[in-house]
Amino acid sequence: MAKQRTPVLKVTKLSKAYGSHAIVSDFNLEVWAGDAIALTGRNGAGKSTILRCLVGADKADSGTIEICGNRLRESDPAVRRDLATVIDDLDFFPDLSVVEHLDLLARAHGLPDAEEAVDDVLHEVQLVAQSGQLPGTLSSGQRRRLALATAFVRPRKLLILDEPEQRLDVEGVEWLAQRLKAEREAGLAIVMASHEPRLVEVVATRTIRVGA
Amino acid sequence: MSKKSRRRAPSPSGGAQTTPPEVQTPTPPVVQPEPVPEPVAPPRVLIDVTPEPVSEAALRNLMRDWRRGRATRHLWDMIQDGYVAVLATVMIGAMLVSMVIRAQGAVSACTSASCQSSRTLLPWASLCGVLALTLMVSRIFGPVVASAAEGFWLMEAPIKRARILWGRLVSVLVGAIVIAAVFGGLIAALSGSSWAGVVNWAVAAGLGAGGLTALAAEEQTADRTWVTRTLQWLVGLVGLTALLTVVAVASGWLADAGWFAASENRFDLIVSVAGAVLLIGAGMLAIARLDEIRRARLVSGGSLVAGMQGAMYAMDMSLMRDILVERDALARGHVRPTKGHGTGLAALVYRDAQRIVRFPKQLILLLLSIVVPYAVGALGLGVLSPVISGLVLLTAIVPLLGMMRVLSRTGGLARSFPFTTAQIRTAAMVVPAIAALLWVVAVTPAFAGLGTGTAHLSWADASIHAGVTGLAGLLGAVRWVTAKPPDYNKPMMQMGGFGAMPPGMIGNLIKGIDIVALVSLPLLFGWSYWISVIIAGISFFVLRGSMNMTDMAAAQEEQKRQLEAAKAEASAGKKKIPPPRR
Repeated sequence: MAKQRTPVLKVTKLSKAYGSHAIVSDFNLEVWAGDAIALTGRNGAGKSTILRCLVGADKADSGTIEICGNRLRESDPAVRRDLATVIDDLDFFPDLSVVEHLDLLARAHGLPDAEEAVDDVLHEVQLVAQSGQLPGTLSSGQRRRLALATAFVRPRKLLILDEPEQRLDVEGVEWLAQRLKAEREAGLAIVMASHEPRLVEVVATRTIRVGA
Repeated sequence: MSKKSRRRAPSPSGGAQTTPPEVQTPTPPVVQPEPVPEPVAPPRVLIDVTPEPVSEAALRNLMRDWRRGRATRHLWDMIQDGYVAVLATVMIGAMLVSMVIRAQGAVSACTSASCQSSRTLLPWASLCGVLALTLMVSRIFGPVVASAAEGFWLMEAPIKRARILWGRLVSVLVGAIVIAAVFGGLIAALSGSSWAGVVNWAVAAGLGAGGLTALAAEEQTADRTWVTRTLQWLVGLVGLTALLTVVAVASGWLADAGWFAASENRFDLIVSVAGAVLLIGAGMLAIARLDEIRRARLVSGGSLVAGMQGAMYAMDMSLMRDILVERDALARGHVRPTKGHGTGLAALVYRDAQRIVRFPKQLILLLLSIVVPYAVGALGLGVLSPVISGLVLLTAIVPLLGMMRVLSRTGGLARSFPFTTAQIRTAAMVVPAIAALLWVVAVTPAFAGLGTGTAHLSWADASIHAGVTGLAGLLGAVRWVTAKPPDYNKPMMQMGGFGAMPPGMIGNLIKGIDIVALVSLPLLFGWSYWISVIIAGISFFVLRGSMNMTDMAAAQEEQKRQLEAAKAEASAGKKKIPPPRR
C-alpha cells in the first residue's frame, strides 16, 4: 500500500511521570495508514499511560502528539473525528439502550446510512438480542462488546485500543482479531495494548515491548 | 524464576560452552518439581458434625467489640478535633433559629387571605412531602440493611437474623421520627403557625414518618413494593393539591382553603394517631418477620448506603445522584428502542428529548416547582422569590441534564463525538433550556403579583425577573452537573479543625448555589436587572466550556512552538522574512 505523506499518528519524545517516578520517557512513534502497532509488556510498564496520552485523556509532561497532521487537543473536533478509542474511561448513558447508543454515535458522525451501519455492527458484536437493554444490565463481556461497537460504528482513521480482548470469550477474541486485521488491511491505523498473543500475532504489523 | 537468575543458572549438561556468548540461545534449565509433603493428618471433612447452638447476641457483641477496639478515634476525640465544625454548627444553628423566629413573626403578622391560607396549607404540603420522602427513601434503601461483608459472613450462618437486625430497624425508626419531626416543625414555624401548631405538626410529621418507615420495613419482609409506591403517590398528590390550593386562594380563584381549612385541626391529629398505630402494629410485625428478608435485599440496600457514604465523604452530590439514576435504570432494565432523527448535533438534541419522554417522571419536580413562586408570593415573601425559586428550579432542572452529566463526568464518551466541548454542552442544554423557558412563562404571573395577593411588579418587570430566575436555575443546574469532583491527586489543604482536605471539596458543597446567588442577588438588592443578565451571560460562557484552561494553554503552547520554529528557521537563513510594510 502506498504510504501517505503525513503519518496518521506521530509521537515525538513523549514523557510522562507520576511524581518522581518516570513511566514513559522520550517515547517516539510513527504510525501510517495500514499499520497496526501492538504495545506489549508487563503490568505497570506504561502501556495504558502511553495510550491515555495518545487519546488526550492524560496530559503528557513533554513531547508532541500529532494526529493526521493536527496537534492533539482532546476537544478538537478534527481529532475526535479521526480518532476512535476504546480505553478504560468509556461511559454510557444509563437511560439509552444499546442500539440507541450506536444510532446516536452514527448520526452524530453524519453517517448517511446510520440504521444500516448500526444493524451491521449489532449483528457483528452479537448484541442483537440485547439491543433494547440498558447498559447497566449488560454483563461485563457484553459491555466490552458494546464499547468495541462504538468504535466500529463510526468513521475513523486511527483506532486506539487498550487491552480490547478483556472479558471477551475465546470466540470473541478470534472475531476481534479477524475484524482488526480487516480494518488494518482496509487502511486503518491501529495502536493497541494487548496481553493476548493470538491478537498480537494476527493484527500487529509491528510490536513494541514497553518497559523492556 | 527471573531472567537474571535464569541466566546465572548452570547448564544442565555442565559441559563447556561451544557457542560464543553473543549468539548463544538461552537454554531453559530443567527444573525439578519440589516434592509435595505428605499430609500429617487427613483433612477434616465437616459433614457429620452437630453444630453447637450459636448466640446471636454474642456475635453482635463480638462485632461491636471488634469495631470499637479497632477505632482509632473516639467520638469525643472527633468533637475535640472538629471544634471548628462544632462551632460553625452552633453558629449556623443559632442563625437559623433567629431567622425562623423573625420569619415566624413577620409571616404571622400578615392577615391577608393568601397569608392565612398559606399558613393553613403549607404545613399540610410539607407534612405530605416529608411522608412521601420517607416512603421513597425507605423503599430505596430497605429500610433494613446489611453491609456486603455482613451479608456474606454473617447472614449465611445458621443464626436467627432477626436478633441481629432488630436493633437496626429500631435505630432507623428513631432516626426517621426525629428528622421528620424537626423538618415538619421547622416548616410550620416558617409558615407562621402558632407555637402549639408547630409542636402539633412536628409530632404529626415524626409519628407519621416513623409509622410509614415501619410499614416499609414490614413490606420489605414480604418482598413487596407496590403498597409503599402507591401510598407514596397518594400522599404526594395530597401535598400537591394543598400547594395548588394555596395558589388558587391567593389568586382569588377560591374563597378559602375549603376542606383543608375545615379539617386543619384534625389532620395533624389523624396523622399522629395513624402514625403511632402503624409504628406499633407494622413495627411489631416487621420485627417478628425480620428473618424473612432475603439476603440480596438486605445487601442491596447496604451497598447503596456504602456508595452514598463514599460520595458523601467526597461531598459529591452529583455522584450520589448518579448512583440513584444507575439503580433506577437497572431496575427498569429494558426499554423499547426508538428511532433517532437528524445528524450531527441535532441527533444529540433529539435523543435528549427522547430520554425525557421515556422517563417523564423527571418532569414532575419541574411541574411542582411552578407552584413555588406563587406560594412564596402568597406568604408575602415575594422579594425573596428570585433566590428561593431559582434554587428550587435548580433541583428541578438537574434531572433533565442527564445527557450533559454523562458527557461531562468522564471524557471517554464525549471524545467519541466529533464536536467541541462547548458544542456538546450547548446541545445538551437545549432541551433543559426549553423546559426552563416554559417554567418562566408559567411563573411570570406570580412575579407580577397574580395569585400572590400583592402586585409589586409591572408585567414587563415581572417577565424580566422571571426570566432572570429561570436563567439562574438553569445555569446553577448546569454548574451542579458539570462541576469536577474533588481531586485527591493534588496536594491536600490544611483546614484547621477539619483536618486535611483536597482542593475543591468545600466548593463542591455550594456548586450551583453560587451561580443562583450570583445571578439572582442583584434583583434582591434592587439593582438593575442588567447586572444579573451580564453575570448570567458570563456564567453561560464559562459553563459551556468556552474557557477550557487546558485547551487554551495547549493552543498558547502551540502558538509559541510555531513562533520559535519560525524564528529558528529565520535565524538559520533558510527563510527570508520580508520587511514590514509601512
